[in-house]
Amino acid sequence: MNFLAASIESLGARFVGWFAVGYGLFAFAGRAALLMLDRSTWNRATYDVVIKQVYFTAVQILPVFLGYALVISWLLITIILSTAREFGLTEFATEMTIRVLVLELLPFLTALFIALRSGSAINTEVALMRVNNELDALAHCKVPPMQFEFLPRLIGGVVSVVLLALLAGLLALLLAYLSIYGLSMAGFDAFTRTVAKIFDLRIMAGLAVKCALFGLAVTLIPVVSGLETPKKLFMVPVSVLRGMMRVFFAIVAIEVLSLALKYI
Amino acid sequence: MLAAVAGLGDEAARVALDLPLRANLTARDNIALIPLYQRHFDAAEAARQAQAVLDALGHGDIAPLRDPDMTPAQRFVTQLARALMLRRPRLVIDRPGAMLYDVPYPAFIQQLAARSDMSGTWEIYDFDWNQALYPQ
Repeated sequence: MNFLAASIESLGARFVGWFAVGYGLFAFAGRAALLMLDRSTWNRATYDVVIKQVYFTAVQILPVFLGYALVISWLLITIILSTAREFGLTEFATEMTIRVLVLELLPFLTALFIALRSGSAINTEVALMRVNNELDALAHCKVPPMQFEFLPRLIGGVVSVVLLALLAGLLALLLAYLSIYGLSMAGFDAFTRTVAKIFDLRIMAGLAVKCALFGLAVTLIPVVSGLETPKKLFMVPVSVLRGMMRVFFAIVAIEVLSLALKYI
Repeated sequence: MLAAVAGLGDEAARVALDLPLRANLTARDNIALIPLYQRHFDAAEAARQAQAVLDALGHGDIAPLRDPDMTPAQRFVTQLARALMLRRPRLVIDRPGAMLYDVPYPAFIQQLAARSDMSGTWEIYDFDWNQALYPQ
């Protein structure tokens, strides 16, 4: 009986914990959204920090990211093409490549890339800022941390994931064309027709929303996780671990939801 | 004493160990945040004002340093410049010995106070046993 009560209690505590984390995330996102709608937020200082964040998150990593997207895309396109040829399904190769790579895999890998590179750094930095009282110092100086530290990171994350996924998608389309038709222009009509058939307004809007949600997840969750860190230095790695686990689950959840909405 | 100093609120600008600098910003950028966000100056003007405060305190050369690269005295000067930039009527230095362990600090603070053009009051809160350090 005691075991049963303890199990129910533990399950309840876990449920309350998840609810509190979810509530914290949505409350923070709500505050950020309200601040974004406030005209006074958009001064020169905020623009400067947003531009810096986009530079650090997206521009600085561009050569490495494009190299990574190129290798992954080339490998997958080669696998899809050789499999399609083997089964006599060459006419479906273009559509398959676009659906698998451009719509699903590249946005997902872009989000993972940004999460591992920037999300973990954001989580660590915010946790250290909290532990070292830097946020209290900013508050004492009446410098709003939401406007100066957090909102630019959220915007930077969303803009970066959307733009990088777009770039990777364009690169994959180019590679797909070159792999299927080579340097000849003979297949251009058929290829563009297939692209146009897949990318209707609903799919494009869905892709944009998915990438934006990925971008939000890889920045919002690390920020909130960092802010939850108890003021003890040894808790910083624990905070990063928890934050990155949540980011991973959020990215997977967004991808699963998007697939379910598209195909079920 | 600790609770009294911490509870001073917004009427006093505090220089204290528990109000550190933003570690990834230079001394100048830490100070410039105040004109940038409170008085809405552009970045260049905010940086110029920050540099002017550091120059007035006689430590203009520390402007490009970040917190981990500063000596305790340089860090204190930056925190003091940031507090002066707040332009509050009271300036409270909370347990300076905890921050200034590399210089004879009452004399150092006195030198800085002589160079500053702040019109309000300077108050130092220190432990009783350090009373002998201050001229009566």
